[in-house]
Amino acid sequence: MILPQFEYHKVQSVAGAIALYRKYKGKARYCAGGTDLIPLLKQRLSAPAAVIDLKGIDELKTITRRKGVLIIGANVTLFDLKNDPIVREHFPALFQSLDATSCETLQMRGTIGGNILQDTRCIQYNKSLEWRTSRGFCFKMGGKACNVVLNAQACFSNYCSDNAPALITLSAKVRLKGLKGERTVDLEKIFSGNGKAPFTVEPGEVLTAILIPLKKTEGVYEKLRVRDSMDYPLVDAAVSMAGGKARVCIGGIGPAPRLYVIKNMDENTIRDTADKAYADAKPVANTTISAAYRKKMVSTLVKRAIKRVLKEGGR
Amino acid sequence: MNTDLNIVGKRVVRSDSLAKVTGEARYTADLRLPNMLVGKVLRSPYPHARIVRIDLTRALKVPGVKAAVSGFDAYGIKWGVFRYTQDHAMLPTDKVRYIGEDVAAVAAIDEETALEALSHIKVDYETLPAVFDPIESMKDGAPQIHDEHKNNINIHVHIDVGEVDKAMREAFIVREDTFKAAGEAYAMMEPYAVVASYKNGFLDLWMPNAGPHVRAKALSNLLKMPLNKVRVRHINSGGAFGGRSEVAPADLVASLLSIKAGRPVKLVLSREENATSSRQIHDIIATIKTGMKKDGTIVAKDYKVIYNGGAYSSTGPIATSIPFYVYEECYRFPNVRYNGYRVFTNKGIRGMYGCHGRAFLAGNEAQMDLMARELGIDPAEIRLKNGLTPGEVTATKSKITSCGLKETIETASERTDFKKQWAKRSRNKGIGMGCVAIMCGFPMGFRSGSSCYVKINDDGQVTIVTGLVDNGQGNESMVIQVASEVLGIPMGDINLVCADTEVTNLDPGSYSQAAAFVGANAVKVACENARKRIVAIAAEKLGVAETDIGLKDRMAYVVKEPDKKMPISWVVREAFFRGDPIVATGSFFPNIDFEREWVSRPWGQMAGTFSFGTSVAEVTIDPETGKVTIPRFTAAHDCGCPINPMAVEGQMEGSILQAGVATITEGNLWDKGHLLNPDLLEYKVPLACDMPEMDTIIVSSRDPAGPFGAKEGGLTVRMNAYSAVACAVANATGALFEELPLTPDRVLKIMETKKGVKK
Repeated sequence: MILPQFEYHKVQSVAGAIALYRKYKGKARYCAGGTDLIPLLKQRLSAPAAVIDLKGIDELKTITRRKGVLIIGANVTLFDLKNDPIVREHFPALFQSLDATSCETLQMRGTIGGNILQDTRCIQYNKSLEWRTSRGFCFKMGGKACNVVLNAQACFSNYCSDNAPALITLSAKVRLKGLKGERTVDLEKIFSGNGKAPFTVEPGEVLTAILIPLKKTEGVYEKLRVRDSMDYPLVDAAVSMAGGKARVCIGGIGPAPRLYVIKNMDENTIRDTADKAYADAKPVANTTISAAYRKKMVSTLVKRAIKRVLKEGGR
Repeated sequence: MNTDLNIVGKRVVRSDSLAKVTGEARYTADLRLPNMLVGKVLRSPYPHARIVRIDLTRALKVPGVKAAVSGFDAYGIKWGVFRYTQDHAMLPTDKVRYIGEDVAAVAAIDEETALEALSHIKVDYETLPAVFDPIESMKDGAPQIHDEHKNNINIHVHIDVGEVDKAMREAFIVREDTFKAAGEAYAMMEPYAVVASYKNGFLDLWMPNAGPHVRAKALSNLLKMPLNKVRVRHINSGGAFGGRSEVAPADLVASLLSIKAGRPVKLVLSREENATSSRQIHDIIATIKTGMKKDGTIVAKDYKVIYNGGAYSSTGPIATSIPFYVYEECYRFPNVRYNGYRVFTNKGIRGMYGCHGRAFLAGNEAQMDLMARELGIDPAEIRLKNGLTPGEVTATKSKITSCGLKETIETASERTDFKKQWAKRSRNKGIGMGCVAIMCGFPMGFRSGSSCYVKINDDGQVTIVTGLVDNGQGNESMVIQVASEVLGIPMGDINLVCADTEVTNLDPGSYSQAAAFVGANAVKVACENARKRIVAIAAEKLGVAETDIGLKDRMAYVVKEPDKKMPISWVVREAFFRGDPIVATGSFFPNIDFEREWVSRPWGQMAGTFSFGTSVAEVTIDPETGKVTIPRFTAAHDCGCPINPMAVEGQMEGSILQAGVATITEGNLWDKGHLLNPDLLEYKVPLACDMPEMDTIIVSSRDPAGPFGAKEGGLTVRMNAYSAVACAVANATGALFEELPLTPDRVLKIMETKKGVKK
């Protein structure tokens, strides 16, 4: 499959990127590692007039500590982040999710910013134009129906970042810079819950950094997949614990990860959390494995992740 | 191992390795011919629809487009492997029968232009009701896919030996189970590609193929061209696994485009097209009834197997038969009935596969274990009891000559401490065994044999010419090794010309596991004939009897006095002086009953010989998620004699992954006529990190007719590895599987609802 025609610009600064975006009147896509965007372009799921490559922005490639916060530039690759001693030492859930992302070759290419802002996926969506034309366009392609769930009113595509759930358990925030200036928001707030347009990120905004409170946590990332060497999660659960409180985040089902906060780690609360997560999960038949099984695995993974944290502290 | 051998049996570096690891080896998509155009195919968006009209005129007006074709530009001829299966027009004019079927095509100066032109082809369809499930398809009133096949039954193979019903009544224990398996994807590393170049009345073609001669013959028929004008050329192949045995629609499309445009055309399929529109693998529903004596002797088997064949016949009669044969070639069945049905549906075309028949084979083996357990017999013992031995005859009258089945069962058991591990199974851990036998070649009419020409060149180097084909498994290196052994000339001095229809003779191709047993045998005979000529001159010059001459390291020498010697190149030059250069031919034709026919006469000698193998899988199961992992896998294979043990081990290792690990990951998924995983992300081919720790054991049974005793080099593992995994999961869970692949959801279900044992 060949790429469609588009203008390509490699920029040196965030301001330069935003200026170009403005010039193309929104008909542009930002590209970091490209591991999510390029396949979308090849499959004609996105047809921008221009691709603005952010890889050349050096200021986004650093990891710094400031006032009790770890600031990770959005261009840091998953591989470099995984090998950062602070991540390994302080954020075991994140270390494990980075390690479970795709394969090492792609970890070296993919960036943490791009990983967070990856599009949601569906087995009936990530297909060639010919395949989709034959099947009929769904909500996410601008059509009038869902191809997975008959008479559905919304898009059920799955958000499959391994790392966003782990970051959410670490109370991470993201810094966005756009046409209207800069803002910092909790990571869990950038999700719209709408599979058609899964992020609340404004047009033209660039995710510049991820900010994590720099305190030691215990944590675990549990990912269910068919093929260990390389696969998106069918469902995943991240847990980070500090000071007797835990944050649990479920991903891989539906367009947004779901966060649960546990204030006290007794058996009943853990079970209630697993039950709540199970009840909240609404998987549909849009992966290679049945929806009923994925739903069931939500509580299994939550219990397992918490048990592991309590037992081994995630190490 | 025969210690007299210098080259054969040694772990030599394959002749093709350097070019392949350095990226120098050329594949079809690498070819660049002057003025070459890019071909693209317009495919059917409907699973079943009548073609009312195809209008190419607007596409032809796109600047840069040099040709456009549809089925109306072809000759209305339908292809079939057999006379009674001629149903595939390749470019249909009546109706389309699956999503992704080739409908029309263009050739243009570049890919963008070709894609643009496709969007201007107008096809009017009248959609028809479609059917996707073989059981539905066989019902009265189901949409008729080919008019001449009532109830959409494409092939019915019926075998009935002995008195099955009586034996079942008298059996001590009888069990019937139904097993299903999803179809697989071939997932070759190289997506299908063709280059066709028509010039001066000759059509030259390059494509990955398993047999250039059958390909050329099919195209000569489809294009109404004399066979000598269609020349299929040699090119490296990035994998076939049975999926490239037959002529492909792309071959006809590229040929028609090249003939129209008068320029070479290259057509490269995308990964998705390779999955939807080349060949797929049958999904199978196998109902297996087995009767056993109290001592574990199998007294009867009764089978009903339904193969979802997709839209066309393809290699249907063979595909409907092979799972049964590889099983009856392994075990003794005094009474057996087999009803195999291949059924048309509106899905992609299904072909033969190296790992074909997993529902049937794994089902048989897992069921046998469960029955044996009830009788207090372990899997190794029950297999030894029922396994065929040298000199026996199979249920359909094939004589077994060399047979190392017993040795493979015994070594694989010893190496894994099988009996002990099997007995102490737990919910989380299991071990399982699978056995099978493989025919080395099968009836392919006059194409069943092979011939080789050899000439010795003036510096003592050798050129061998054979129809043999290499699909990546190392057949080319294998015959060079054989020639090197016979002629006493290093492998590096031997040039091979192969898989080119113009210069080579007929050969079964890289098909039916005949390459070593048939192809290499022909090379060996030709080289032996050349050797006789060398030896005669050397004996004369060295003044000894011909029987005293040895050939080694480019020298002819006196065996008893090795210092008395002369270079082979001197012998060759002498032959030139005598006006009688050293050239020779050799042929091999296997002992096969050619009256045998897949449907009308399913008995008689199937092949010249059979290979045997036993796989043992060790699995662990996550009791909470149902996820299976395979930490260790052991495979023992009787290949007769390993010509290159390293290559045989490579084949076995690949098979462990492609058949064994695939048991837990691989399966095509469908939404009616839409293939949901035509890509390598959602179709889960196991990768390097998914490899278990592997132990490959070569058993040498020295086949009396094989070249240096060789049979085929590894296919047993491709057809018993899934059985080993399924049996190991059954060992752990205490229950049979219902459907493959054994994805975590299915395994969890097995653990939750154990199947009861019926008596």
